[in-house]
Amino acid sequence: MIITRVEFLSRTKLDQRTLDIWIEEEWLIPEQFETDLAFSEADIARVQLITDLTEEMGVNHEGVGIILHLLDQVYGLRSAVADLLDTAKNQAEVTPEKS
Amino acid sequence: MKDPYETLGVQRDATPDDIRKAYRRLAKKLHPDLNPGNKDSEDRFKDAALANELLSDPDKRKRFDAGEIDASGTEKPRQRYYKDYAAEAPAGNSYNNRSGYADFGDTDDLFAELFRQQAQQSRRAAGADLRYRLTVDFLDAVNGANKRITLPDGGSLDVTIPRGIQEGQTLRLRGKGAKSAGAGAAGDALVEISILPHRFFTRRGDDIHVELPITLAEAALGARIKTPTPSGSVMLAIPKGSNTGVVLRLKGKGVAHRGGHGDELVTLKVMLPQQPNPELEAFLSTWAPGPSYDPRREMVS
Repeated sequence: MIITRVEFLSRTKLDQRTLDIWIEEEWLIPEQFETDLAFSEADIARVQLITDLTEEMGVNHEGVGIILHLLDQVYGLRSAVADLLDTAKNQAEVTPEKS
Repeated sequence: MKDPYETLGVQRDATPDDIRKAYRRLAKKLHPDLNPGNKDSEDRFKDAALANELLSDPDKRKRFDAGEIDASGTEKPRQRYYKDYAAEAPAGNSYNNRSGYADFGDTDDLFAELFRQQAQQSRRAAGADLRYRLTVDFLDAVNGANKRITLPDGGSLDVTIPRGIQEGQTLRLRGKGAKSAGAGAAGDALVEISILPHRFFTRRGDDIHVELPITLAEAALGARIKTPTPSGSVMLAIPKGSNTGVVLRLKGKGVAHRGGHGDELVTLKVMLPQQPNPELEAFLSTWAPGPSYDPRREMVS
């Protein structure tokens, strides 16, 4: 499901300037669709997270970048561990029982 | 629902600043996106957010203190958290970062092997699909055409529109999408087609419909009339006494589809001269069609 730039701005209540900065900082990495940007529901949830960080937790601009970078690694690690557990489980299933 | 003061760990006479600080302290510790997979902290965060919403609004706080509303009255469901999307995102999405395992790389244990495989997979992963929208003329959609899309980066994309393409159909151009970040194949270009309406043709399924205006004389006496079809004009024989609303079928003049053609359906429409015509009026005032001519017979009850 593609969300257009205009729809994205209206749903997140961001202004264009802020969006430009966030994309420049790679806090958001939208896709390119035809001549404009395309966003996803995950991008909208990410905006909510950034807003929580800055408005509710008092994280400053520099801190947001560090936190997002670490979080992306945490989520990468979590999905790697999930894959690992999956692989281990499958291997356990195909290993024939020794008699 | 727990007491919101207790949830935030503040006294009942806490200042708004105390409440803000207490909530901020909890949010930093409990925010679900910072604690993925920890259901307990998610529940506690929701309680804290609710308590904060109640106590940070002076009006709501006053009414709560007076016992007018209870703590559960303000609950509203929060949208999904980022962690929910991160958890279900496919490998290789823009944010998911698995690059930090180089230090595992030169051991031969299970972890290293797994991460190596993943790294290889992501190197081999195909580039992203790119989406485009192309608007084509009605006749190009019926007859097929070659079109060129100019891309934002100055390049271009040649698109062959097959005969009989339909509104909203998507053409996949293999390997015309984004290049792979690694050694994988390029993604595909997905071109969604939208079709412009025509001045007088309309399309229903594989059939073309057109309304053909004819003169009173052509309707009464019959005629051969040049009639447009998507593949050029043809001569259409109008039978004697053809009325408005009569539908004539031109076989095989509709939209081509696999193994055949639709038809063109021509609906006749009798048109009087646009200017009043004294000769026609003079003729009709002396003309007696006889008692059997009553077009409204079926409406008389």
